[in-house]
Amino acid sequence: MAETLQNLYLGFSVALAPDILLYAFAGCLIGTLVGVLPGVGPLAGISLLLPATFGLDATRAIVMLAGIYYGAMYGGSTTSILMRIPGEAASVMTCIDGYAMARKGRAGAALAIAAVGSYVAGTVSIVLLMFLAPPLAAFALRFGPPEYLALLLLGLLVLAYMSGGSMVKSLAMAALGLLLGMVGIDQMSGYFRFHYGLVELGDGLGVVPVAVGLFGVAEILTTAGQAKPPEVIRPRLRELLPSRREWRESAAPIGRGTFLGFLIGIIPGSAHIISSFVSYAVERRLSRRPEEFGKGAVAGVAGPESANNSATSGALVPMLALGVPSGPIPAILLAAMMVHGVSPGPLLIRQQPELFWGFIASMYVGNLVLLILNLPLVGLFVNVLRVPYPYLYPAILAFAILGVYAVNSSVIDVWIMLLMGALGYVLRKLDFETAPIVLGVVLAPMIEMSLRQSLALSDGHYGIFLERPIAVTLLAVGLVLVLFNLWSFVRRGLDWRARIALAEKGEQT
Amino acid sequence: MLTTDRVAGVALVGIGLYVLWESRALPLGTLYNPGPAYMPVVLALLVILFGVVMAVTGGAAPRLGGVGWSEWRHALVILVVCAFAALALERLGWRTTIGLALAFLLGVVERKGVLVAAVFSLALALGTFYLFDTLLRVPLPRGPFGM
Amino acid sequence: MTIRVSALVLALVLMMPAFAAAQDAYPSRPISIVAPFPPGGVADLTARPIAAALEKVLKSPVAVVNKSGAAGAVGMSFVANAKPDGYTLLLSLSSISIIPEADKLFGRKPAYTVDQLVPLALLSADPTILVVRSELPWKTAKEFIEDAKKRPGQISYSSSGIYGTLHMAMELLSHAADIKLRHLPTAGAGPAINAILGGHVDVLASGPAAVIAHIESGKLRPLASWGDKRHPALPDVPTFRELGYPGAEFYIWAGLFAPRGTPAPVVAKLNEALRQAVNAPEFKGPMEKLKTPIAFKQGEEFQKFFDTDARRLAEGVKRVGRIEEKKK
Repeated sequence: MAETLQNLYLGFSVALAPDILLYAFAGCLIGTLVGVLPGVGPLAGISLLLPATFGLDATRAIVMLAGIYYGAMYGGSTTSILMRIPGEAASVMTCIDGYAMARKGRAGAALAIAAVGSYVAGTVSIVLLMFLAPPLAAFALRFGPPEYLALLLLGLLVLAYMSGGSMVKSLAMAALGLLLGMVGIDQMSGYFRFHYGLVELGDGLGVVPVAVGLFGVAEILTTAGQAKPPEVIRPRLRELLPSRREWRESAAPIGRGTFLGFLIGIIPGSAHIISSFVSYAVERRLSRRPEEFGKGAVAGVAGPESANNSATSGALVPMLALGVPSGPIPAILLAAMMVHGVSPGPLLIRQQPELFWGFIASMYVGNLVLLILNLPLVGLFVNVLRVPYPYLYPAILAFAILGVYAVNSSVIDVWIMLLMGALGYVLRKLDFETAPIVLGVVLAPMIEMSLRQSLALSDGHYGIFLERPIAVTLLAVGLVLVLFNLWSFVRRGLDWRARIALAEKGEQT
Repeated sequence: MLTTDRVAGVALVGIGLYVLWESRALPLGTLYNPGPAYMPVVLALLVILFGVVMAVTGGAAPRLGGVGWSEWRHALVILVVCAFAALALERLGWRTTIGLALAFLLGVVERKGVLVAAVFSLALALGTFYLFDTLLRVPLPRGPFGM
Repeated sequence: MTIRVSALVLALVLMMPAFAAAQDAYPSRPISIVAPFPPGGVADLTARPIAAALEKVLKSPVAVVNKSGAAGAVGMSFVANAKPDGYTLLLSLSSISIIPEADKLFGRKPAYTVDQLVPLALLSADPTILVVRSELPWKTAKEFIEDAKKRPGQISYSSSGIYGTLHMAMELLSHAADIKLRHLPTAGAGPAINAILGGHVDVLASGPAAVIAHIESGKLRPLASWGDKRHPALPDVPTFRELGYPGAEFYIWAGLFAPRGTPAPVVAKLNEALRQAVNAPEFKGPMEKLKTPIAFKQGEEFQKFFDTDARRLAEGVKRVGRIEEKKK
């Protein structure tokens, strides 16, 4: 403990040096901007700035790039809440309740809760990272294909809790999303699937165009032509901050989101965006008023926002502790380290204490900086809602096209976004939820690959799932959850989803 | 008789059948060694199943016409403008395309007046280009005359 | 009236730079080097230093554009079909020869063919290294190969994807040493390394830069290398050539290409610039830090290297064939 404190002291002395602070600040600022821009996520932001960091030394480079990473998670919630456009794929769940809160005049509260939740999650997860990095990383590496599949199947169960309304409709959307995720090269056999000669579809539709299209573009298509344009909300300063009740309601979700996101983040290769989906589902399941979700539940913003911030710290655990890339973004951070002559590996913490502890300390500082940056800006951002919609939506469209195009310099992505926008419009009219589609697109390739990889490892024997302890545990948990729900469904006759459906029908008549 | 659920159900069945048709060229594999067609086929069958269930039980859903499609023309125009933007983006370059698209949206679709539309679209087109291409070095397409 | 005049003037002013540019010598516009892989990978990390060095030499901006997708096919086909004016170049890895072969295997229209591109220069050629988990008993490559012969299909290895560089390297070895291994394709080089570190597979063929840290920390043991000489960072690791398997030669090399049809004076200018750029500190510095030795080949030399490599890989791909059909 004393050693850790000593190391932290060393770290802070590195991190609070004015020039390192400057780079951390720059990274956070750029990250926020990148996050606000629809479609362009932290991956694009970091790759843009990677060459700029070649001239710097390792610590400065890493501090700035990491600042972009977690900064983007702060910024992503802004457009989600204000305009129902995901700033990056991880903010998709915030779109649902965050925007509903904004429409109720609680945009300031939503933004503030998102900022505070992100800060708490970011800071707590760094503490966990600091103390538990090496053992957690070793645990995370033991997740091979069978464990992965068990975890993802558990994640699929989450779909059942993501939306109200008819079970069949949610499942149908999930299946459709999974089907859309099948587009692309089959990594196990080399066949191209459903690509119609377009080599750009080789990696699939891409979650970014799909998310921005289904949520952002569809929202614009639905709202722009309304006879009565959305009323311009002019909130007063008092209304900008969350009420006491809202703070109380967000406390537990923030806590849960932090731990959940961190755990999901440490597993290498897991799409960290599923952390926000899982958090939403957990909050909905545990809430005493689940019918509020979708109409502006505070927990629906607090949970996912905290989860995606702590997932970013979680993703750094295998990278720092073992030198192992747990996703595309940690891979770039690793590359940035290698370019500066730092070999990431298990000995990094011992060989480069200034780098490691300076980095950790800079994350504390960075999170604080972002909180200070974002809270006062709430008042500024909310003014975006004052712009009359006919001027606002063309600008949003321009930025959406820019963001989606810039990720891979690909017009095909823009087309995918438009097609998904049209699909999203139709689905909203027909009263379907679109969030399961995004989750399906993300999960499908991973589920299929894990299954076939597991079978490749075991040469076709399904018994491999029972031979590995972590996989068995996860599958057992999943089975218990399914049985529990079936049992309560049978027992109570009507489950809460049907109650909501009845209530909604009552509203419509 | 045409309710939203019924239409959706039929559409889903259609999608599922289409996927099944497209997957016939890919090897199916076995349960112990699934091929590239395995999961798409399974999912397509699931989609068809859900579609059928929805179509059959869809009588209680609201009528298709009653949903409120009043803004579909507006939405269609927006989509067409975006499609134009996608087509023109790499041929005419970023600034020209976005400028034209925004000017059309504001001037013709929203009827905001020529001057306002022109200033707004010019400002956004040039502004975004400057911010991203020049300052951040994100390459945005340039059309003829380097526009 | 005033608006129209000002619009006209504005248009003329904006067009002026374009007119001026069209008359200057090459390079008069920014050059883009397309790296067909996501940022942070070998292609990217080689492209950026060479771009910086070229920018200094040519005194004109050179930017790196990442166009990733389909294991590199998107970026490669983009450059293959680009205007051959010398402003769009490709920094490719050895997979450039694999992808059209794989397309042929599946009866697809190839995204591009190798003769749509003209090789300019080879920049680095890292041989792959065979590493095993340190808990496993094999201390030399010979022990490993003997064990593999005794237990065909039992020893597993991970790769960055089917027909990918790491897969083809192992495939060349399997053919040369006549052994059969169990293949686990993963979604990229990163997950492949995670798989071996997590104990899910036994061996891995990997680029040296990615695994040197793990070798030093003792988690992985290097057995042999696919190069023609020993890797400078691993002087005790023999090459498969030394061990008697000359067919197992594979490099994850990075080279610069231009679309075919690029005018000869432009190519000559680029070649001259590259000769200088390779010795520039902007290039040498990062490459040293990455522990990647610079292997510079141009013209005839590079063409020969490229052709041999392409032929070897094409044969390998044909041998692998279509997995699904073989299993039947």
